[in-house]
Amino acid sequence: MNSDAKNVLRERIELLHPKNAVKNMNLIGRMLADNREMSVWEHDTKTLPLGVRRWRRRALKFAREYIRPLAPEADLHPHDYDPKPILSAAARKGFQTLLFTPPIGSASTLPFLRGTTLQIAVVGEEFATECGGLALLLLAHNLGIVPLLLSGSIRTIIRHFFPFYIKSRILGRPDCMAFAITEPGAGSDVEETEGGAMANLVTTAKYMPAMGGYILHGQKCFISDGAKADKVTVYAKLEGEGIESWTCFLVEKGMKGFSVGRSERKMGQRASDASELIFDNVFVPKKNVVGKLRSGWANNRNVLNYSRPVVGAMALGHGRGAFERCLEFCRRTKLGPKKLIEYQEIQVELADMMISLWAARSMIWQSCRQFRCYQSASAAAKVTASDTAFKVCNQAMEIMGDHGYIHSNGVERAWRDSRLTQIYEGTNQINRLALFEHHMSSDFYIEES
Amino acid sequence: MKNGTYMHISAEDMESYRDLARQFCKKSLQPLFEGEYSDGNLSLLPEKIETAFKIGLAASPEPSMPGNCYGIWGASVDEEGMKSSLHLLSIIAETCGGVAMSLHAQGVASNLVMQKGAEPVPVPVPVRVGLCLQEGFTPPYLGTILTPDRDVPARVMVTADKTANGYLINGHKSFVYSMHDVDTYVVFVRFGETWACFLVPSRSAGVSRNDAGVRTGLRACSLGHVDFRNVEVPRDARIDDGNALALMARALCMNWAGMAAIAVGIARGAAAAARIYAAQRYQGGAQIEEHPAVKALIAGSEASIGAAESVVLSLSDCNDFSLRTLGKAASVKLAATDLCARAVTDTLQTFGGYGYMEDFGMEKRLRDVTVLKSAAGSPLYLKQLIFDVEKEAAI
Ligand SMILES: Cc1cc2nc3c(=O)[nH]c(=O)nc-3n(C[C@H](O)[C@H](O)[C@H](O)COP(=O)(O)OP(=O)(O)OC[C@H]3O[C@@H](n4cnc5c(N)ncnc54)[C@H](O)[C@@H]3O)c2cc1C
Repeated sequence: MNSDAKNVLRERIELLHPKNAVKNMNLIGRMLADNREMSVWEHDTKTLPLGVRRWRRRALKFAREYIRPLAPEADLHPHDYDPKPILSAAARKGFQTLLFTPPIGSASTLPFLRGTTLQIAVVGEEFATECGGLALLLLAHNLGIVPLLLSGSIRTIIRHFFPFYIKSRILGRPDCMAFAITEPGAGSDVEETEGGAMANLVTTAKYMPAMGGYILHGQKCFISDGAKADKVTVYAKLEGEGIESWTCFLVEKGMKGFSVGRSERKMGQRASDASELIFDNVFVPKKNVVGKLRSGWANNRNVLNYSRPVVGAMALGHGRGAFERCLEFCRRTKLGPKKLIEYQEIQVELADMMISLWAARSMIWQSCRQFRCYQSASAAAKVTASDTAFKVCNQAMEIMGDHGYIHSNGVERAWRDSRLTQIYEGTNQINRLALFEHHMSSDFYIEES
Repeated sequence: MKNGTYMHISAEDMESYRDLARQFCKKSLQPLFEGEYSDGNLSLLPEKIETAFKIGLAASPEPSMPGNCYGIWGASVDEEGMKSSLHLLSIIAETCGGVAMSLHAQGVASNLVMQKGAEPVPVPVPVRVGLCLQEGFTPPYLGTILTPDRDVPARVMVTADKTANGYLINGHKSFVYSMHDVDTYVVFVRFGETWACFLVPSRSAGVSRNDAGVRTGLRACSLGHVDFRNVEVPRDARIDDGNALALMARALCMNWAGMAAIAVGIARGAAAAARIYAAQRYQGGAQIEEHPAVKALIAGSEASIGAAESVVLSLSDCNDFSLRTLGKAASVKLAATDLCARAVTDTLQTFGGYGYMEDFGMEKRLRDVTVLKSAAGSPLYLKQLIFDVEKEAAI
């Protein structure tokens, strides 16, 4: 084809482009056709309630300013970076107090009443896009707080949330919280009903009326932020009873007998620790009992319902991070005279990744769009998003060929980070069973034979 | 050594080869993993590699070395086909994918040197060799393989120019997998309109190597980028006979087949570990192997591994390393690494949180097998190549 013919063809293609072709429609037709050129991120943001939109934009900015520069080093040398500055910055900007509305929290009020976790979910996605480990460092803290909220006790909420809000938002010296249910002999068993009934639990609380509290003895493992936390919501059975007596206790750093054991060496999300917590006859005063005695199992299961969509959102962030860094690679890398992004096989793959991420985001936002989170929707969001994220990260690595597995390109880090989301907060197998369980008397009812 | 009639390797010989590899894994490699790090104590690696040379697992172009003929990708593959190399790589990868990759990279590069035919290899004969084939993030596409001087899609940028006494090599090669401390590089370059292949001592003036830096997996195998700046080589450093296209095809075929075999080995190791763990871990009122969800993960993985192994072993008797086998070798790598990566991630899942920790070695297996998928020809690249090769063959 000579250059004149090429030019003619190029002009025709330009005319046929939807944004130009639409000009041939009449006014009403044009008004009904949406050809605005806007990123998917902008499109999605515009569908959110105003207050949530604001948090999404703030989180994007924070993630790029604070998380992005720290991410590679925090992943490579998790013991050599100081997490305090980023915790403090996040707290000052209100990201650590999103589980309540003013005057004791920073969540936007109306959207909070329509979806308790949506604001944390959108923030989680932005943070995790830049770094899974730092996102977990900042967000595992919310997991530690949800039990207080779900305690339903106004006294507990005011007693803990108010000082926490002041320390975080105003003083920039936030307390860091963690959530501890897992024990060496009980992982899935503390996330699933039938397993729970047969769980081999060691952490026990003995009531000491004379002392005005409980003596806690036992061990938890894999606790995110466990080594950094100032306070931990710990679940224990009451002495002589089974898991149905599970009660949540607030254990504070410095309590005698409370120590941190080994911190695990993990494949990804390395900027946050996963630690063993040891309770060697720790005295916990009665006022640190969270919610009613023996309400721990129900509290725990509902904490998981609140946290799983957020874990899904973090997974989505890992996938998006891999996607964005891969896209950047395709923009700047040449194969012969053309850029990678100009090749059709790459365009198809990139589009496929974006579709997967978009679908996962829709699912997560859908699961967060009610005041109370429920088991099946939360499990579905977590499973979909984590499987999607791992798939998208793999696609990103494959597009980049040998560059995909080099640490400095940031995609393999997202890939390692994403793999965890298929495991914690209940493995994806256990989450599928949770969905089934929720609808056993509706969608999945079994007729008696 | 030229392609010719091949004879099947006897079952007894095959078994003694396998036994040799198993003993190497048990006595030499296992101790690497007794420490805390899932990648093993890499400071002990050089002595292990030395052992691999001594017992003849590692091939070398040096005729007096034990693995020259029967080591991994040793000279005997032209007679006997790929079977023994594929088996050995798979067995070693059950313990460590990175060590298998090291021996594999050494074998492929050695095998190319041994193709020099009648003319002697320059003295001193290289012992540890590394293959410099790739430029950028992917190996050459078929268009480039056939016409290295044209942008179909990308021309080859590493070049050789003739000088009075030999050649001058210039350019940058990326992602060179090799053992540590190679003494010689086998370098593919564009020479005029065709390919040429040279032996370049790694300490020659103008040769410099940069480590590829921190990476996901296969860390026991060294990975770097090599720069050639006005590197002068004598005439007899050229090892092709006028066009290195055949050598290029040989390198790619062996590379892909071997990487697929390594993936199978890694996945086998993962599945075996998962079986053991599932029999020990107690959750949900039973050993987790009793739960159908866990059975499905393990059995599904084993089926995938079986399929991958069949695909890899379909190359067992092949001793044709020409363009005719290129599509098949590419398909084998594409299918086997994908099946094995799925199998490893599923078997890791059976470990729950423990699979994510370094202690059980599962996360290392996942990292290693995932690198195999993208390294030296990603799925996207392989699909294009396979189509083009088939089309070319039809024409
Ligand atoms: C990095 C990291 C951070 C974590 N952070 C926290 C934290 O902050 N707080 C906390 O309390 N916990 C935390 N966990 C624990 C996490 O939630 C558990 O690891 C997870 O629930 C799985 O439990 P497990 O590891 O004991 O696996 P297991 O329960 O041993 O599961 C092993 C396998 O068996 C399967 N299985 C088990 N039971 C059944 C069954 N009944 N039916 C069918 N299949 C079954 C599982 O699906 C899995 O495939 C963390 C874990 C990790 C890895």
